Amino acid sequence: MMKKTVSTIILFILIMISITSCSKEVKIDIPGYKEQLVVDGNITTGMPPIVILSKSKDIYSPTSLDAFLSGFVKDASVFVSDGTNEYPLTLLCSNDLPPGTEDLVAGFLGITPEQLSLYNVCAYTSLNSAIWGQVGKNYKLRIQHEGKEYTGSTALLTPVSLDSLWWKEDNKVPGFGYSYGRLTDNGGTWDAYNWEVKRINQINGKPIDSNFKAVFNSAFDDEFFNGKTFDFSYENPLNIDDKEIDKKERGFFKYGDTVVVKFSKIDKGTYDFLFSKMAQSMSNGNPFASPINVKTNLKGGCLGVWAGYSPIYDTLICN
Amino acid sequence: MHRSFLLILLSLSSFVYTQEKIICTGTVKSNEDGETIIGAKIFLPELSIGAVTNQYGFYSISIPKGAHKIEFTATGKESMSKIVNFQADTTINIELMIPATDMKEVIVNAKKSENVTSANMGQMELQIAEIKKLPAFMGEVDPIKAIQMLPGVSSVSEGSQGFYVRGGGPDQNLVLLDDAVVYNASHLFGFFSVFNSDAVKSVNLTKGGMPANFGGRLSSVLEVNMIEGSKKDFHVRGGLGVISSRLEVDGPLKKDKGSFMISGRRTYVDLLMKAFIPKKSPFHGSSYYFYDLNFKANYQLSERDHIYLSGYFGKDEFKFGNKKDNFFVNMPWQNGLAVLKWTHLFGRKLFMDVVTTYTHYKFAFNTEQDEIQFKSSTSINDIGTKIGFSYFPNNSRHVIKFGVQYTYHIFNPSSISAKQDTVDFITGNSQNLYSHETGLYILDEWNITENFKINAGLRYSTFTHTGKFTRIIKGNISQPDSTIYYKPNQVVAFYHGLEPRLSMRYLLPDKSSLKAGFSYNYQYIHLASLSAVSMPTDIWHPSTDIAKPQKGWQAALGYFKNFLDDMLETSVEVYYKRMDNLIEFKEGSFPTDNINDNTDNLLVFGKGWSYGIEFFIKKTRGKFTGWIGYTLAKTDRKFNDLNEGKVFPAKYDRRHDLSLVANYDINKRWSIGGGFVFASGNTMTLPMSWYMQNQDLLFEYGERNSTRMAPYHRLDLSVTLYDKEFKEKRDPATGEMIQKKKRFRSNWVLSVYNVYSRSNPLFLYIDNEGSFEKGDFQVKVKQVSLFPIIPTITWNFEF
Repeated sequence: MMKKTVSTIILFILIMISITSCSKEVKIDIPGYKEQLVVDGNITTGMPPIVILSKSKDIYSPTSLDAFLSGFVKDASVFVSDGTNEYPLTLLCSNDLPPGTEDLVAGFLGITPEQLSLYNVCAYTSLNSAIWGQVGKNYKLRIQHEGKEYTGSTALLTPVSLDSLWWKEDNKVPGFGYSYGRLTDNGGTWDAYNWEVKRINQINGKPIDSNFKAVFNSAFDDEFFNGKTFDFSYENPLNIDDKEIDKKERGFFKYGDTVVVKFSKIDKGTYDFLFSKMAQSMSNGNPFASPINVKTNLKGGCLGVWAGYSPIYDTLICN
Repeated sequence: MHRSFLLILLSLSSFVYTQEKIICTGTVKSNEDGETIIGAKIFLPELSIGAVTNQYGFYSISIPKGAHKIEFTATGKESMSKIVNFQADTTINIELMIPATDMKEVIVNAKKSENVTSANMGQMELQIAEIKKLPAFMGEVDPIKAIQMLPGVSSVSEGSQGFYVRGGGPDQNLVLLDDAVVYNASHLFGFFSVFNSDAVKSVNLTKGGMPANFGGRLSSVLEVNMIEGSKKDFHVRGGLGVISSRLEVDGPLKKDKGSFMISGRRTYVDLLMKAFIPKKSPFHGSSYYFYDLNFKANYQLSERDHIYLSGYFGKDEFKFGNKKDNFFVNMPWQNGLAVLKWTHLFGRKLFMDVVTTYTHYKFAFNTEQDEIQFKSSTSINDIGTKIGFSYFPNNSRHVIKFGVQYTYHIFNPSSISAKQDTVDFITGNSQNLYSHETGLYILDEWNITENFKINAGLRYSTFTHTGKFTRIIKGNISQPDSTIYYKPNQVVAFYHGLEPRLSMRYLLPDKSSLKAGFSYNYQYIHLASLSAVSMPTDIWHPSTDIAKPQKGWQAALGYFKNFLDDMLETSVEVYYKRMDNLIEFKEGSFPTDNINDNTDNLLVFGKGWSYGIEFFIKKTRGKFTGWIGYTLAKTDRKFNDLNEGKVFPAKYDRRHDLSLVANYDINKRWSIGGGFVFASGNTMTLPMSWYMQNQDLLFEYGERNSTRMAPYHRLDLSVTLYDKEFKEKRDPATGEMIQKKKRFRSNWVLSVYNVYSRSNPLFLYIDNEGSFEKGDFQVKVKQVSLFPIIPTITWNFEF
């Protein structure tokens, strides 16, 4: 895909720089730190809204899961409206969960049940299914915290199905391959999509992956193929950093894997957030790009996103 | 008081006018090779009047009838004087000699005291001989690197060709090679300049108070003049270096009438790569080379007519392939120039030069990975004509210049295509932007009194952007993009403006001088850069209906004084500069945003200002020569759409910039040179905070350019060993040993770049290490540096 090629170019230039240069750690004054509220909120068709609140940290402050988890904001008032009614969300922390709901909640939060049991993860959500995601609705988020109000809105658009989905064995690594999709884009409108996967083949009676994971450049728009039928391929994001498997197998799906693809239609605000997030991770350290702040679709001076996902689920059997 | 001053002025001029005058014209050349001498001085000491040769070696001076002593001087030449009885208009063509080596004391500096007496401010000239004495990076003598050592001028980044003059951007410098504009004066990612030292005669930088015959840029003019070649006999010059070799041949086309010069240079990294990368390697086929060719020929058609043809072509090609990943990149870029000049003398008072230039620049980036092919390029083609006149009125106190200039630009800021197998991606049609730039100027170099001299000028410039052109108006989700189409030659945008220029000098009784200058400039083309460092990927973009022309003014004041019979030249200059309609990419722009869009839709516009003080001390002669330049400066930018509209420092805002250049001739065979620079670090934008989203680490960048990198400093040294100038030979007639000057001369130059191997910052980035879950995750600021100590050796020869 175009953006994949551009990212490869940037990667290549980075390689060039690293060949011709050397780098060392330096301590340098980075002025201007101000603490900001960070919103990680989403709503998916058929699912409750989930809003995790935290604070941004000074660049030199410790970066660890502990530091992050100790930074949950638990004293905010959070509301979601579907355009007709506004519902308050309640704070739910993993320490207070009713027994048996851990797997479900972990799935909602996008973390593993192990992580959930290790840390006290807190999120604002609602068990009232009236405010769970429905296609065609526009959802407004409103947060009140420390005397300030933050707002955002996202839409759950009509999902688009893939024409087909297949697996192709790689020439050089027998038994392993990438996932491929074919999509016919809607001409005349601007469309954006997001690609997430999880493998559901059972290991020890449990699926390999408990949650969906987005690929590196998961969000794409139809700038280059508006109204066209188009093939594309994606790697396996679930094992790309897995140091326990052979290096050459990383990023591939294995022959026999059963993969569920969550292919979501996303709106402009969600796309801008996801795309700029990917762009930032590519541009950091790249002298050929200007610094990119991740674009938020929230107002009021906070960071983060209020994302809406309208997915179709499709199963790919790798054979 | 005022009235009496006027009366004195009037009586002075009437005194001058009452005498009958004749006009003396001619050219000044070097006796050795017949090369014309730029800036040679003609002086009549009894009358205290004089003239200076122009870039064609021509002069014209009006002289009261009678017998007078007339002196001719030029840098590095023996001066010559004669007494002439001027009764009618006369032509005196002079060839000045290179003095015998043991007569160094007679070598004069024609530029002696010129820094004090000239009315021009902020002008600096370097002779190629001076530049060759500086330590050279990787053995490549480079005029631009030498320019970067002057006060008020700073380099963009390590090893780069871009330079900033008094807080202006790298696009604000008009770089001319024999009158043709050079858009990207660099090779190999900017480490080497396109100016091959063998083909260069002199470089002249005007960093403030640009005369009215130059325009189109806000900050400076860098004129690089090519050598013309010897009109007497043939010469071969060359050098073998670590990364490249060069060869130059010149000689007469017809003795004393015309000459030619051809010079080439090529790197050999690709040959080494070919030899060292085995065929089986996935990287086989990766290579890099550049070459350049300079050519110049001139011929004197008659006493009054001279034609010149010069050309340059340089090409770089970078290839990188990784068969394993099915990944190939090819990055060619090229510069080409052609210049045809004709000079003609009407009578004795009016000198005309007609110049036609062609400039071509292209940069391309092509990649192929798996089945996806991606091609992008940017290019410029310019065709221009200039007709300039110099008028030398009877009253020798004036030199009036006027002329017209026209350039037709064809820019292609961005052409992108991509395909996968048979599917072509929609990348929009590549668009050429057509524009016409004109300039009309008049200026007067006027010696009002003995002590007071001005250079006043006015320039009127226009710029017209014409079709065909398609303006894309970006829609949003509900509204698709729309377009406005302009037919061929239909006017899309028209800009024009008056550019007044004034500089003046007042000589003080102690032979020091006070100078002041003001200039107002328009700049109709811009350089849009996405990167933190200057790269060939930067896009040149003309003014359009959206991108308005840059405009700016500069005011400067200086005090100049020489010591020890002009051996030490010193100066202090202060300046303030204001710039409007500067461009930057929008925050968060990405290279792909160019696709299906007009590049200028991605730009934002703002203003900038800079001010500073420059100190300069130069020792011009003796065994030990060199200079110290120090600049204390500040430059800021303000864009409504950047940094929340708040003022921020320019990325090359340098508070302190110090350069020291020294050369010591130990004896006739050994010479050592050194250069030291110290500059405040460039500014950068780094993340001020981090946060998490969906278990990913994200950064929030702080105020633009709020982080300052560590200072830049570097010492370079060089040692030159010349061969013996004479060989001993037995005179067959007398049997005595005699010394004969050798025709074949050579020297070895050992250059050491970055002697103490300082890790100078190129840029900083945030790196993270460890695992988030394991708790050993760390965010670190890393500094990338380019060149450690690099010693190189070069062998040069000539015969």
